[in-house]
Amino acid sequence: MKTMTTVTLYRVDPIDPATQSPRVVPGYRQTALRNPALPLQRRPLTRSELTAPREQAARLAQLGADIAGHGATQAIGQLMHLRLKVVDEDGAPVGGTMVEMWQSNAAGRYTHPNDDDHAPVDPNFYGAARVLTDESGAIEIRTIKPGAYPVPDSGHWWRPPHIHFSVWGKVWLSRLVTQMFFPGEPLNAHDRILYAIPSAAARESLVCRALPTSEGPSNALVFEFQLVVRGCAATPAA
Amino acid sequence: MPKLTPTAEITLGPFFPTRYVDPGANDLTRRDGCAARGERLELHGRVVQEGGAPMDNLVLEIWQADAQGIFRDPRDPRHGDADPGFAGWGRAATGKDGRYRFTTIKPGAYAMPDGRLRAPHVNVIVLFSGIMRHLQTVLFFEGEPGNEADPVLTAVQPAALRSRLVARREGDGYRFDIALRGDGETPFFDD
Repeated sequence: MKTMTTVTLYRVDPIDPATQSPRVVPGYRQTALRNPALPLQRRPLTRSELTAPREQAARLAQLGADIAGHGATQAIGQLMHLRLKVVDEDGAPVGGTMVEMWQSNAAGRYTHPNDDDHAPVDPNFYGAARVLTDESGAIEIRTIKPGAYPVPDSGHWWRPPHIHFSVWGKVWLSRLVTQMFFPGEPLNAHDRILYAIPSAAARESLVCRALPTSEGPSNALVFEFQLVVRGCAATPAA
Repeated sequence: MPKLTPTAEITLGPFFPTRYVDPGANDLTRRDGCAARGERLELHGRVVQEGGAPMDNLVLEIWQADAQGIFRDPRDPRHGDADPGFAGWGRAATGKDGRYRFTTIKPGAYAMPDGRLRAPHVNVIVLFSGIMRHLQTVLFFEGEPGNEADPVLTAVQPAALRSRLVARREGDGYRFDIALRGDGETPFFDD
C-alpha cells in the first residue's frame, strides 16, 4: 500500500571551513597519514545523500542515559547531569534521533582494550550512553566528569576532559561525530584538536555551559550542551 | 532568523566503545523478522593508511536503497513501497588485518526528478582516530551499464580516478578497498 506523508524537503549548504578542523592537524601524527592528499570531490546532491536511516533503535542496543551507577556500584568521580539538545541549522529540534556518547572515567582511562594508560579502570564505569532524543531533541545523561589524560608519544600533549558524541540527524549528510569540552579547563587552550579549529566562535560552541548549582539535584552538577547538525528546511524544487 | 553554524566535527578517537559495533550491525538483509528481497551479496575489503598499514578498529557505515531503488525514508517519494525486510543502514569495524565485511543486497537504480538515473550505489562513511572530519565516499558495482551516466560517479575528476569507486566481483560478493591517503587513494567527497 502506498502511504503519502507530508515531509519537509531538506537542504544542505556548503560548510564554512573556518568553523571546522583542517583535517591534517599539526602535532597529531596520524592525521597526516589518514586524511586525503587529493583534492576532495564535489558532487550534485541527490535523494541518496538527502535521505537518512531512521531505525538505529531497531539495529543498535540502547544502553540508557544513566551511566554513573548507584549506591555501592556508583562510579568514582564528580557526578554530573548533562542536558543535551540536538537541533538543525534552523534551530529546529531533531527528535527521535539516536545519540551515542562515550568518555573516559574520572582518572582519564577508557574502558577499551586499546587504552593501555597507567590510570586505573573503574569497575563501576563503562562510560557509554546510547539513547534516542525526545520530541524536543533533548536527552539528559547522568554520568561523572571525565578526567584528562596524556596522549602517548606526543611530547606531553594532554587531552582536556571531553565527551565524545555521535548523532545522525535528518539526512545522510547531517551525520555528526564530535567532542564536547568543559568550561574553565586550563588544558583546553593547549589541546591540539580543539585549537586546530580556526574560528573562536566554533571552538566556543564545543564548550558546554555550567548551570547554577541551584538548577540541579543536590548531589550533581548540571551542564548544558547543544549539537547543531547540518541541514535546514528547503522549499520544493520546481 | 539567521541559520545556526553546524557543530565542528572531531575525530572518533581510538576508543570508540567495542559495544557500539553491535553483533549483526553489518548484516542489512533482515528487518522485523523478514528477509530482504534482491541479490544478496558480501561487500568486503581492506582499509589502509598512507604507506599501506592496515587500519584496526576503523568504523564504516553504509546507507543504500533496496533492490527496487527505494530508500526507507519519508523523503523518498516511493518509500511506502520500501522492502519491509531491508533497513538500508549498517555499521562494521575493521579487524587487525584492516578487513571489513557487510552482508547486504545489490541496490536498485532509481530515476531522479529530472529523469536521469542514479546507478546502483552504496554511500560509505569512514570514521577513525586521526580522521578529524568523517570521510564520505560512494561505492559502485562493476559491470553496471548505468555507471557511465551516474551524476555522482561522473562528477569525479580526473576521470581516471572513477574506477577506484567501482567494487570488483570477488568470491560471493564484491570487493571494495579503501586507501585513506597515498598510493591508490580513494576519492572522497566534500559536500
